[in-house]
Amino acid sequence: MSTPDAIPPVTIELTVNGRKYCREVEPRLLLVEFLREELGLTGTHIGCDTSYCGACTVQLNGAPIKSCTLFAVQADGGEVLTVEGLEQDGELHPLQKSFSEHHGLQCGYCTPGMLMSAHALLAGNPGADRKAIKKAIAGNVCRCTGYQNILKAIEAVANDAGEGK
Amino acid sequence: MEMKFSGQFEVSPPPAEVFALLSDPQKFAPLLPTFSSLEMKDANTALVKVSVGIGKIRGTASTQLTLQKKTEPTHATYLGTGKVMGGAYTMISSYDLEPKGSGTLVKWRGEVQLVGKILSLAGGGMQGYAEQQINAVITSLQQAMSPEGRRGAPAPADEAGWLQRLLRLLGLAPAADQPGGTPPADAAAATAKLTAGWTGTARAERGARALSPLKSAGRSKDFSAIVDRQASDKWVHAALSRKEDGRLIRGQGLFVDDYRVDGMLYMNLVRSPYAHARIVRIDTARAEALPGVVCTLTGPEIAAVCSPFMQIGPGTAQNIRDFPLAVEKAIYQGEPVVAVIAENARIAADAAQLVEVEYEALPVATDWKSALEDKAVLHPGMGTNHHWHGVYDFGDVDKAFAEAAHVVKIDQMDFHRTASTPLETHAVVATWQPTGGVDFFCNNSFPAIAIQMIAPALGLGIDQIRCKTQDIGGSFGIKIGNYPYMALAALASKKCGGRPVKWVETRNEHMLAGGHGGERTFLDTEVALDKDGTITAIRARHIDDCGAYPRYEPLGCVIWSQVLPACYKLRNIRIDFNQVVTNKGPASPNRGYSRLQHLWFMERVIDICAHALNIPGDAMRLANYVREFPYTTPNGCVYDSGDYPLMLEKAKALIGWDEWKKKQAEARAEGRWFGIGIGTTLDSGTNNFGQSRIVNPYLPFSGNSEVATIKLDLDGTVVVTLGSTPSGQGHETTTAQVVADELGIRPDMVEVRTGFDTAANSHGGHSGSYASQFAVTGLSAVHGACQKLKREMKTLAAFALEANEDDLEFTIGQQGPELRVKGTERGINYWALSAMVNINTAGQPAHFTDITLNIRHVYRPPFKIPDVDKKMGNLTLTYASQLHIAVVEVDRLTCVPKILAYAAIDDCGKVINPKIVAGQVHGAVAHGIGAALMEAHIYDRDGNLLTSTFTDYAPITAMSMPDLLYDDIETPSPFSYNGAKGMGEGGGAPLHTISAAIQDALAGEDVVIRKSINSPNDLYEALKRADRASAVKVESRIG
Ligand code: FES
Ligand code: FES
Repeated sequence: MSTPDAIPPVTIELTVNGRKYCREVEPRLLLVEFLREELGLTGTHIGCDTSYCGACTVQLNGAPIKSCTLFAVQADGGEVLTVEGLEQDGELHPLQKSFSEHHGLQCGYCTPGMLMSAHALLAGNPGADRKAIKKAIAGNVCRCTGYQNILKAIEAVANDAGEGK
Repeated sequence: MEMKFSGQFEVSPPPAEVFALLSDPQKFAPLLPTFSSLEMKDANTALVKVSVGIGKIRGTASTQLTLQKKTEPTHATYLGTGKVMGGAYTMISSYDLEPKGSGTLVKWRGEVQLVGKILSLAGGGMQGYAEQQINAVITSLQQAMSPEGRRGAPAPADEAGWLQRLLRLLGLAPAADQPGGTPPADAAAATAKLTAGWTGTARAERGARALSPLKSAGRSKDFSAIVDRQASDKWVHAALSRKEDGRLIRGQGLFVDDYRVDGMLYMNLVRSPYAHARIVRIDTARAEALPGVVCTLTGPEIAAVCSPFMQIGPGTAQNIRDFPLAVEKAIYQGEPVVAVIAENARIAADAAQLVEVEYEALPVATDWKSALEDKAVLHPGMGTNHHWHGVYDFGDVDKAFAEAAHVVKIDQMDFHRTASTPLETHAVVATWQPTGGVDFFCNNSFPAIAIQMIAPALGLGIDQIRCKTQDIGGSFGIKIGNYPYMALAALASKKCGGRPVKWVETRNEHMLAGGHGGERTFLDTEVALDKDGTITAIRARHIDDCGAYPRYEPLGCVIWSQVLPACYKLRNIRIDFNQVVTNKGPASPNRGYSRLQHLWFMERVIDICAHALNIPGDAMRLANYVREFPYTTPNGCVYDSGDYPLMLEKAKALIGWDEWKKKQAEARAEGRWFGIGIGTTLDSGTNNFGQSRIVNPYLPFSGNSEVATIKLDLDGTVVVTLGSTPSGQGHETTTAQVVADELGIRPDMVEVRTGFDTAANSHGGHSGSYASQFAVTGLSAVHGACQKLKREMKTLAAFALEANEDDLEFTIGQQGPELRVKGTERGINYWALSAMVNINTAGQPAHFTDITLNIRHVYRPPFKIPDVDKKMGNLTLTYASQLHIAVVEVDRLTCVPKILAYAAIDDCGKVINPKIVAGQVHGAVAHGIGAALMEAHIYDRDGNLLTSTFTDYAPITAMSMPDLLYDDIETPSPFSYNGAKGMGEGGGAPLHTISAAIQDALAGEDVVIRKSINSPNDLYEALKRADRASAVKVESRIG
């Protein structure tokens, strides 16, 4: 077992929620650790160690990814969006409002990951139907809600988009 | 009284520009703090509505603001008049403008005259309040006139646009314009506030969040908007969205892993790869040599300084030595053996790899059978693996069997090991205090018991432990069991000289050692029935497998008897109950704890008997349901209320029973395995801890207690603290609903503190969140506290208003929440009431010294101590009930069961918040379906856990969750003040229901469903079993 300080750190530059960061990181640092520990963005959570639960979901260059399954160095040069970046100018994202309105969260631990998966889905498919929504959050575990209200919350936003609202 | 103020300030624009703003009431009025709307009476007079009040006290006051004098461009005088707190005021403010450089010097004077008794009563405070308001006006003015402000608000195209921009700039835009509310900077401040008084905060690096100008948004602006939308005058029963959501949807909750303190260290654990092994040698030298490692801890080191945890079991069970680390041997795979503490989590993990442990493998006992053989004894002090035994015997069982028309015998049934695996794992930050105590920031869900376990183990007085929780990422009972890790982190911090130590469990650790729901085997079941299929007696032997360390056990050996006859009216029951320890992960209370296993057993009995006697499942249930309430069970429990036949009727209507029956007939004709199943279950809530004496007569517990405090803070804010540890159940919201109704105010006028904190003095020895009880224990405590507070407030108000207490009403006035003399304008607001106790205390009668406006109420339900010898007594206060129906098809080729339809009816008495109740039902259904179809902890013969990751265990996802149909009935509980029954655990209804549906689907194959898990593999095996036809025997004496 080699000691960690034997491996030289790597300098990475990336944009998170619209701000540029340049940091020296251990090559083995996971993106989720980078976000939580280096940037203090603790909204992105960790729920497992086998890429199953999706609590760590963020977007990298617009695609939803499990940030526990990517090294921070792999995001070098990329654009990351986390739950903290959803609210714009004091205005919550419609998905955030809808989750609250439809009681799509209980403990709230899965919520940031769910929001990021849903957000990525609706960016590509604004009027997504229930089937597409289920698929989009198939990699996000929620232990509290039984998914019913999460689906409703996402569906409500998708329906609004469908009505051209 | 009269107050005078004066001063001067500078702004950068020239006098003409400043004058244009100051001399136009339409532009000037919005600068008033908490301005809410304006109407122009004429060119010089505005009717201005401002939200007034202090702190959270809210209300709207109308002021008539007249521009009395203007001399362009040097002078403006305003006259303001209005009504306030049963009195009136007149305000004159004037502004003189002088050029100063390129800008303007503004000299101002203000005079306020107040009339009315209340204002003089609160006089001292009024001056400060007025100054605050004036400063706010000046700040607004300066901002509006600053270069940025002017850029943001260029020459108006129209007045409305000008106003909007100005309002937005000042953060005063009405709620409807900005429903989202709290900007990140404020939310960060709110987070800081949440942790105030604690030794650290969630680390939010300054640059990481979007910058945003400071605004005057309140703490619960989102919630205020929700309350506005709901527009109700009664709040209990309203489907209100939650107060908690605001922080959680922004990712700004504070879970333990989000919490960071300067100097914090990280703990990583070396765990036993063996299920049973003697620890021969531990070498930590290489780990300790790794740069960044602070120290290590081993079992022997810990055993030398602390006592083993308290054991609940009787007799030799008291000799079990349970320490935070294994001492001489490890007795389950994953038991912690060595702790490594380092500067960061990655170094700690590296170092753990460098620890060398030599083990000598020992024989294992991995199921009840091998455990009872006692070849591998886990706890030498206990001398056996048979941890508990007792016989529950009620009625005249033998007589009933002698007289039975039919006797159904079932050889063995098994309830499997499963767990609710909260998404957030166990975690703690422990800080050893220089004074010898310890601070915990943790996610334990029953901290009152945790500290009673930890204090004696660490040799501390209970007052030396500060224990705090905040946001908890799900518990489902599992987080009751993490106290050994809290103690371990405390010892680690002690060894590290008091530096805070954080430990966050990995998912793999959680699966191995984080707590499993109990496994139970039902042997030699015999059921006596009369000729119509009415069950008259049951006898059986039950064996619980609680894993390696009992911890909360053997409480599960009595808790099941809260629902002894389930929903059925049989009076003769004999259960020989046993519990064994095995070389598997320790059991922990888990959603439906100990009752769901028994309820599943009873539902299997119903369906198997129905099947054996060829009676439909619904008719069998209707023949056996309890129908009159309150109903006293054979062991003395009192079912408070319910209507099981009505639930069945509703569930049938909801799912479309008749159509499904038709479809089933068609499917069967095609040879398909198509089944419809019913599950009826109970969710008993609010424990009588006296039942613990049934497992061990020497235990000191009985009854139950929960605590709430309520106070009027210095500014009159209503502040509530709870003893509960919500992990998603919305206690902040439901508490605010109850308090709002009691005080005649709005839920957003109530501050409910998040989480448990020993320092808040709002806990008792039973405090926490478990056993479906908050709606009863927690809210009764809140309600009781409200009554006491109201009495004190009335006494003060009656004095202040020179009124009779009976003539007072709680309401909202112009100055926010107040007490008012009915039918008059005379009132006193909360701020003024609080002032009488806190800042303006002179001149009051002597007997007022007992009044504190700071109430602590302990709710204690009216329980008696059970009869320990007979194992009888009222063990729980309320009995919520659930009835589910599922339609399931099992694929003939793959044996994959597919849920085609699912309906759930819930009865938890009076519902406090329908949204929250439905959410709890959904969650419980998901846990039940997951457990019924796929979620199982499986061990191999050597005690290796084969499901030690999420990928192997496969918790249910949206893909395998059916769309739920949900409805409820309300049978109010006569035993709670609000008619509510505790709920949330759900009684495991889907396990019963899916077993029943699959039984029905495979009815033609002679398969009897005898296992609670029905994965394709299990079903394949059940279909192939040679003994499937002989597993159930029916002896009939007639017919
Ligand atoms: S933490 Fe990334 S998938 Fe679970
Ligand atoms: S809300 Fe708790 S895990 Fe989803």
